[in-house]
Parts: sequence; structure tokens; C-alpha cells
Amino acid sequence: MKLIRSDRKALYAFMAPALAVMILFFVIPVIYVIVVSFLKWNGISAPALNNLKNYALLMKDKSFSRSVINNIIWALVAGFIQVPLAMVMAIILSRKPKGWKFFRTVYFFPQVISGIALATLWRAIYNAEHGMLNGLLRAIGAGAAAKDWLGTIQTAFPAVLIYWVFYVGYYMVIMMADITTIDTSYYEAATIDGATDFQQAIYITIPLIKKTSLLTCVTLASVMGLRQFEQVYMLTNGQPANTTSTIVLYMYKKMQNANYGIASASAVILIIVGVVFIVCIRKLFEGRGDKPVVAKNVRRAVK
Amino acid sequence: MKKLFALILAVTMCLSLAAIAVPASADEIVINFPSIWVGTDSKAPYMAEMIEAFNAENAGSIKVVVEEQTDYQAYRDKIRTTITTGNAPDLCILDTTFDIKAFAESGKFMDLTPYLEDGWGENFTDGAFDAWSVDGKVSILPFEAAVFTPIYNTEILKAAGWDHFPATYDEFFKMAEDVKAAGYNVMGQMAGDNAWSSMLWYSLIAEAIGGKDVYEGGLSNPAFVEAAKVLKEMYNYTFDGAVSATASDVNGHFLARDTAIYLNGPWWIANFYKEDNAVDGVLLADVCEVATNPAYEGGKGDNGLVTTVQGFLAAAKQSDPAKEEAVVKFLKYISEPERVAQWALSSGAMFFVKYTPSPDTTLISQKVTEVSNNASYTILHVNGAFPTAFSTEFPAALSALILGEVDEQGFVDQLQLAIDMA
Repeated sequence: MKLIRSDRKALYAFMAPALAVMILFFVIPVIYVIVVSFLKWNGISAPALNNLKNYALLMKDKSFSRSVINNIIWALVAGFIQVPLAMVMAIILSRKPKGWKFFRTVYFFPQVISGIALATLWRAIYNAEHGMLNGLLRAIGAGAAAKDWLGTIQTAFPAVLIYWVFYVGYYMVIMMADITTIDTSYYEAATIDGATDFQQAIYITIPLIKKTSLLTCVTLASVMGLRQFEQVYMLTNGQPANTTSTIVLYMYKKMQNANYGIASASAVILIIVGVVFIVCIRKLFEGRGDKPVVAKNVRRAVK
Repeated sequence: MKKLFALILAVTMCLSLAAIAVPASADEIVINFPSIWVGTDSKAPYMAEMIEAFNAENAGSIKVVVEEQTDYQAYRDKIRTTITTGNAPDLCILDTTFDIKAFAESGKFMDLTPYLEDGWGENFTDGAFDAWSVDGKVSILPFEAAVFTPIYNTEILKAAGWDHFPATYDEFFKMAEDVKAAGYNVMGQMAGDNAWSSMLWYSLIAEAIGGKDVYEGGLSNPAFVEAAKVLKEMYNYTFDGAVSATASDVNGHFLARDTAIYLNGPWWIANFYKEDNAVDGVLLADVCEVATNPAYEGGKGDNGLVTTVQGFLAAAKQSDPAKEEAVVKFLKYISEPERVAQWALSSGAMFFVKYTPSPDTTLISQKVTEVSNNASYTILHVNGAFPTAFSTEFPAALSALILGEVDEQGFVDQLQLAIDMA
């Protein structure tokens, strides 16, 4: 549809405030970070041009490469384990089984607690001496398996990551909201054709939310995974031996050292990793997922 | 009902706005002071008393407004950000995790030299400013001092068959074996958080090995590799889970009286006298003694003392001379020797101010002072002697060392790399 001149003016007028805010609070800071990434600056003295040295130092620093790898693992786990878990819960609860409201509240509840509080709670659970996890292991006679979960290289990162995977409430409610908008006639037709609940979920629900809430949740979860900070900071501060560090934590430590050049360079790398991730996710979700496909899927499924 | 809720909401909003908008009187100078000496900090009660008294004495002309921050790291982040962005608070507390020299050179802080030369400087200990002045000017004021001496539980040592604290590290590890065999932890170590306790031990060991010149040549001094070996050995005598432990674990164990030796600054002494920490009516202080850093076989250390500046006071440069005078007036007020003596008594903390200790000074504080006075020389704690990057990297390097990811040389190399990167 072609826009007439007055429409265009209105369009620009509506876009202008958001665009101004975007430029002020996103574009300018990003440009600033990129500029600082080429400087040697302690935040106090006058900055000096450092060319690509900050990036060269980052490439040499093992703790930075470990942080990047950890973030990638985190984003993958978020996008491809946490969100599918949330999707399963959303599909089950949107069928409104007995007590669904209670379970919806229970699954969503951790989202209203601050990440810092949750991390503090889990720190206590993982405590090597008096933690609940080791206490439980000892109680069931598996005391030999008790260990310093956050102080052992093999277990620290999984320990930081694993509890968070199960906090699916946020993505679950987004997908539940989307599922409730699906026309019930699809399900009615599928039921008449003899499709089971599982088949309906696979061939109706998932294709119809794939390009909307599922894509949104995978993108959101991956981005959240890439910018992880408070959990790691509270639980391990990146230890032991930097094995649980993330890019944002690394950046924070460089700022503590008043090394704003390297901190900014690591922020630029984080932005690049984020962009690559989002592009990959978009590519992955490209393809057909619209209504005719659903109808065809259902027919194929019940044959 | 809706109207009632709307009314409550409106009243709450108005009250909040009113609270924010309470104006100071037209001529009143407000000194904004974000402070870490609040909450459970042992210096907090007397600090609050002094501020209240100062505000009362200067009612209508000067008012010190404290912005409380109880978390050290959050406080440092806030101060670093405000200074970097050109919004340094009127007054703040810095420590050696900041690059004090760079701050002093930045010109963002008030030059206190004229005031110090005008008699105020007489209140401070001799040479207090030497290491921190730039071109003879003092803008960052060393204020709270700290010395680090081991404090040990005599009952635990007695249970292990020891009636004295070891004089050498060889003897120390013999004692450690006995204490461990008696079912106690020898000392608290921590590689989690900022690895504070372990970093203190590292300073003590490095001093014993390298002596007063240990920092000459930086980390290339072989004393640091040797000290890493000793520190690693100490992890065999601490509680389980020390790699992920934090200061609260270390403190908790000593308070629970299952750990023989405690190492921290003098600000912690007040806790030894708290009734809350007494067991069967016996204060922890009653079973504690102060020790000197053991000597190291073949080491260059000779009764040295590890010390640091625990707190600097820094005041932002002011364009208004009246406000500058007001800030200096407050600084002079809290550094009056009589007040500092009272402050030291109530908190156990030490200061770079010449004062006559109160006769009521706790026995442990007196013993710490005695050990300090008898020391042949002092060296800085590693976190003050090296750039901030050293302290930031220390927990990572230490946990790598303890878990066998790197050897002692690798540990030192990792710290050096962090310094080089900064």
C-alpha cells in the first residue's frame, strides 16, 4: 500500500520520539563504546589512542576466551533447552488441566524474585560444608558425591547454569498468551480427525507459535544468556580459575581495574556475538509455518 | 473503594515528593558524603555520633548528609563511576583498590596542602602523606590505618599441645599438623569473592621470605613464587570448601571456635568483645592472643609488619570557597585527636592521627599496637603495593593454583599478566 504525503508525515511524527530516545540511549552510547575500545583510558587521566592493542590483548587473554565460550554455551542452553522446556509447560498448561492456574503461578513465581536473591539462595544450597545439596546427598548415603560444587572446576559452571534453566515462567507465560490466540477450530478439526494431544501440539501449536512467541522467546533467552552477570557475580565471581566467567563479568572486572579501553573492547565483542546470535536464530526460524502448512500437517499426522 | 485507593496513592506520592524536595535553608551548605562507615561497620556508631554533633554545632550553616552504602564493592563501583563521570561527591572514602596516585594527579580533588601546612597536619602521624602526595601536594588524605597480625585461639592451640605461637613457618606447619589432628581447622582461607584472607596470608608469607625489600622488582622477586608454595600448603589446613569460601565463612569459623588462627585488620577486634560471640559467658577475646608473623627459614624477613591504608578521605574540588571551607571544617572535626582516640576505642580501628590511646583500650588492641610498635619495619599489603589488577585477578589465580591448574610460577605469571594488561 502506497503512503500518501500526510500519512508519511504522521508516520515520522509518531516515530520521532522513540527514534530520538533510541539514538540518545543506544546509538550514541554504542558509538562511544566503540571509540573508547580503541583508547587506553583509566577514566581519570586523558585518554590516549591505543589502536587495536586492546583487541589484541583480549585475543591473548585466556580468561576472555573462556568468558566468550561460557556465554555462547549459556545462550545456547537458554535458547534451546530453557525455552523448549517453557514451551512444553505452556502447551500443557494452555490445555487447562486441573490446577493449571496454581502451576502457572508456581512456575512464574521465581520471575518476581530478584536474580541476586535467587543466586544468594543457591549459594547457600551449594555450600560445601552446610549446603542443602551436600546434606541431601549425605542423608541418602551418597556422601561420597558431596563436594565443593562452586569450587570445583568440573562442577562450578554447570552448577551456576543448571538451576537457572528451570526458571521457565517468563517464557512460559509469553507462549501461553500466544497459544490462547490460536483458533480453536484447528484443534476441533484435528480431534474429529483423530489427532492426539501430542499430535495437535506438534502439528498445530508449535508451527503456529514458531514465528511469533517461540522466536521471540528464543531470541530473548539467548540475549539474556549472553548478558549474564549477577548470577555468576553472586555465586562464583567467575571462579574457580575464571572458569565461570562471562563477558559482562570480565568487562566489569576490567572497569574495576580502571581499564576502560579493554572493558569497551570486550563490550564491542559482546555486541558482535549478540548480533551473530540473533542473525543465526532468525535464519533458523526462517521457512514456512503458516496456516495451510498446519492443515496439511494435521491431515498427514492422522493418516 | 477505588476512590480510597486512589486517595492513598495520591497522598503517598505527595509525601514522597515532599520528602525529596525538602530544601536546605538558603545559606546552609550541604556536604554530600557517601559513606561505607555505616551499618555494621565497627566505626559506624561513633561516626554517626560525630556527624550528628557536627550538624548540631553548625545548624543552619553546614549540614553533612550521609548516603549510606554498606556493601564495599557496591560502594567502590559507585565512587569510581561518580569520579570518572566528573561528579565526584563532596567527600568520600577511598581504599587501595583505587589507583590513588592517578586520582591524586587527576586534579579532581581538593588540594588540602594549605590547610595541612596551617597546623592541621600536626594532628597526623609523621610521614603519613609521603607515599600519597603528588608534587608535594596532598589531595587524598590517608586516614584509617591497618596492620595485619595473626590472632589465635589459645584454647585450640592448648588442645593441640601448643602453649605458644610458632616462631617460624617450619614450626607453624608442625603446629598445623597437631591442630588438624586435634580436630580443628588451623586457619580460614578463601579463594572465593575477593580472596581477602588468603591475600593477607600471602602478604605475610611474602614479607617473611622477601623482607622489607620484597616489592623491589615487582612480582619478579622469587619470594612471590616461594610464598605461593607456602600459601598452597596452607589450604591443607583450612576448612572444606575454602576454594569457593568468602569472608563470612572465614569469620564464621573463627567465631564458632573451630579454627585456631584468624587474620584480618584491627577493625575486626570489636567483634571479639561482643556478647553475641561469647560461649558460656566467655568472650572470644578472653581466649585470644596476638602473634607476630613467623620467620621463614632462610628468608630475609626480620620482624616485619604488613600494613595498609584502609581508608583515604578525598574531597571533591569545589568552586565555592565557602563550601571548601565547610568540607575542611568537617575533616578537621573528625580528625581531632580526642575524637579519634574515642573512635579508636569504640571500634578497634587505627588511624593516621596522633592520639593518646584511651586507658580503656581493649587488651587485644593494646597487644596489636605493641606488636606494631615492636616491628623492625613495615611493608604494604600486596593489594596496596601492586595495581588494582593484581587484587582483581588474585582469586582466579589462587583458585587455579589450589586446584592444580597452574603451578606456583604460573600463579605469579597470571598475576603479572593481569598487571601488564592494565
